[in-house]
Amino acid sequence: MASTKVVNIPKGGFSFENCQRNNFMAKQGFPAPKAVKTGTTIAGFIFKDGVILGADTRATEGNIVADKNCFKLHYMAPNIYCAGAGTAADLEMTTLQMSSQLELHRLNTGRQVKVATATRLLKQMLFRYQGHIGAALVLGGIDSSGPHVCCIYPHGSTDSLPFVAMGSGSLAAMAFLESGWKPDMELAEAKVLMRNAICGGIFNDLMSGSHVDLCIITREKAEMIRPFEVANVKGERQGSYRYPLGCTATLSTRVIPIEIESTVVRPVAEESMDTA
Amino acid sequence: MACMMSNMSTLDALSPDWLTSEHSTGTSIMAVEFDGGVVIGADSRTSTGAYVANRVTDKLTKITNHIYCCRSGSAADTQAIADIVNYHLEFHEVQLGEAPLVKTAASVFQELCYNYRDQLTAGIICAGWDRRHGGQVFNIPLGGMCVRQPFAIGGSGSTYVFGFVDSNFKQGMNQDECVQFVLKTLALAMSRDGSSGGVVRLGIITEDGIERRTVLGNELPRFYEG
Amino acid sequence: MSSIGTGYDLSASQFSPDGRVFQVEYAQKAVENSGTAVALRGKDGVVFAVEKLVTSKLYEAGANRRIFNIDTHIGMAVAGLLADSRQIVETARTEASNYRAEYGGNIPVKYLADRVAMYKHAYTLYSAVRPFGCSVALGSYDEIDGPQLFMVDPSGVSFGYLGCAMGKARQAAKTEMEKLKLKDMTCMELLKEAAKIIYVVHDEVKDKHFELELGWVGAVTQGRHQKVPQDVYAEVERYAKSALEDDSDSGNDDM
Repeated sequence: MASTKVVNIPKGGFSFENCQRNNFMAKQGFPAPKAVKTGTTIAGFIFKDGVILGADTRATEGNIVADKNCFKLHYMAPNIYCAGAGTAADLEMTTLQMSSQLELHRLNTGRQVKVATATRLLKQMLFRYQGHIGAALVLGGIDSSGPHVCCIYPHGSTDSLPFVAMGSGSLAAMAFLESGWKPDMELAEAKVLMRNAICGGIFNDLMSGSHVDLCIITREKAEMIRPFEVANVKGERQGSYRYPLGCTATLSTRVIPIEIESTVVRPVAEESMDTA
Repeated sequence: MACMMSNMSTLDALSPDWLTSEHSTGTSIMAVEFDGGVVIGADSRTSTGAYVANRVTDKLTKITNHIYCCRSGSAADTQAIADIVNYHLEFHEVQLGEAPLVKTAASVFQELCYNYRDQLTAGIICAGWDRRHGGQVFNIPLGGMCVRQPFAIGGSGSTYVFGFVDSNFKQGMNQDECVQFVLKTLALAMSRDGSSGGVVRLGIITEDGIERRTVLGNELPRFYEG
Repeated sequence: MSSIGTGYDLSASQFSPDGRVFQVEYAQKAVENSGTAVALRGKDGVVFAVEKLVTSKLYEAGANRRIFNIDTHIGMAVAGLLADSRQIVETARTEASNYRAEYGGNIPVKYLADRVAMYKHAYTLYSAVRPFGCSVALGSYDEIDGPQLFMVDPSGVSFGYLGCAMGKARQAAKTEMEKLKLKDMTCMELLKEAAKIIYVVHDEVKDKHFELELGWVGAVTQGRHQKVPQDVYAEVERYAKSALEDDSDSGNDDM
């Protein structure tokens, strides 16, 4: 007799099975909790030796800062990283899924993966989900055809440009990039420009804040600098608010001794070892 | 509850339209047939709400060596469609052992645009050259119709220049006349349409393939500016 | 036949030890039992001529045609089992129609021939099916590509031809074709020669009655495949018959 047991292998990826339930609950007056949406400043551009990506580190949940030092630069492949803006959960799942697909692709082909491959994979997936996956990405990397920076929007459109900024702070960051970017910048210059761009977001956009993270990708290696700059040092308490001993005058003293009425000693039975 | 409401409105104020609205190519695009080829042209602005997300977009997208499309509408939709058609036609080219016809490309575009008309926002002009029928322009507007025209304009900017093209189009213009016609039309459209602008990208497709040109914003023909 | 009794000829999915697929070869034999069909490609068109054997006097004239329209611009002549042929015709028509729906134009005949060949080939791979017992010739004409002619046999290979013959007397027909300068000939000349070939190779002793069937596609028909009109048919038939008589006369002289 064949076994009727079915092995349940959990499916990977996104699950939409609770959509109907959630709609029903919303109608009953129980709205779904808001997802953590990282109002963000992220940017990326090409410089002389490769690509530089930057991000702030604030995660917001409505008006509340959910995380003061979150990590928005994600690993895609040894030569490709990406900065994410949008729904934190979607970004995490999307980048994890893509990085594993890219690694499998690298093993299958035995070659370094191309930035174009990562872009294609991401845009096709995001397009399939018609914008319901709230992931806006700045993808940067270097491959056999040179350095590339690419914007990927939640609906699945892409723009390949020499410098890009995304997220709620993109206007502030773009102001710096538009005025400061030039072709073939040195690494030191590039770091300063990126710092300025992200700080533009941190200080001028309410949804962005905290520190600056950088990722520098060159032909030789990818380097993550976290934090690159602590833009908002936590304030230190200026004075001490402790009262020194002896601030209160002692008017009188009275000592009440504790009287012991009886003492009971109970033996604790030793538990036998379980040898079953 | 009132507190909630005010809370919500501050939230809305915090996330402006360009954060959430779809990325689209509010656009001016154009294509004109001439004897021996076609001239295609487009502006370079991609907007998200009121924000210019890309000021140097290339909306002239390659399908095969001799067939290009001008994209208008949702950037995601038109990029996806162009990728699919490109895949389809490259495969078809291998099976056929010869370059596909422009009509073939237009038919594949139409098939997608019509079948998914409720889900897509895509206005496409498919243009190119083939050895059978020479230069051809096919217009595939929003509903998924496909029609061959001696010239076509599209995108949000086109509404401002229908009169201009109707009064200035002449049958049998040569290549240079067509280039000037496209350039003038797009410059006019870009100056009146807020969501068109930037540079003009041109493509001249003949038997020899495509010749690409870019006309910078300060080099565009100028008209009445008040 | 060496294959009989060895057991390797029972299925199309099994090779014989010397690397043959007997079922496919038997299918080719089935084609050889059929009336001859020829297709010629000239400078401005392709013509088809078929020796349609009439096995009963009770048939209506023109019944069981063996030249078909696949699309407006493509004709097909068949040889072999007629029922099998009709399925191939149906497949080719569907293929042409799908192509038109999807790509908005005429299907290139080379592409169609490849598709038909693929379809036939699929039937030479599995034990549950038998190969098609028919060969087909596909012809087309357009101004750019000129005339094109392809033949697909039961094994599922397709080749382009200047002239091809299928059926009983294909060897004799090919010998006749080789005497012609096909590349320089017009449709009208081709038609006459094709008809003549059919008359020449017809075996009066074994097969008494036959109908000559003619189809053409070329500049004269504006690239459309058509049955040859009555007056042309009459002229061609007259030419073929008189040529045949001349030949037999001269043959007699030699004797």
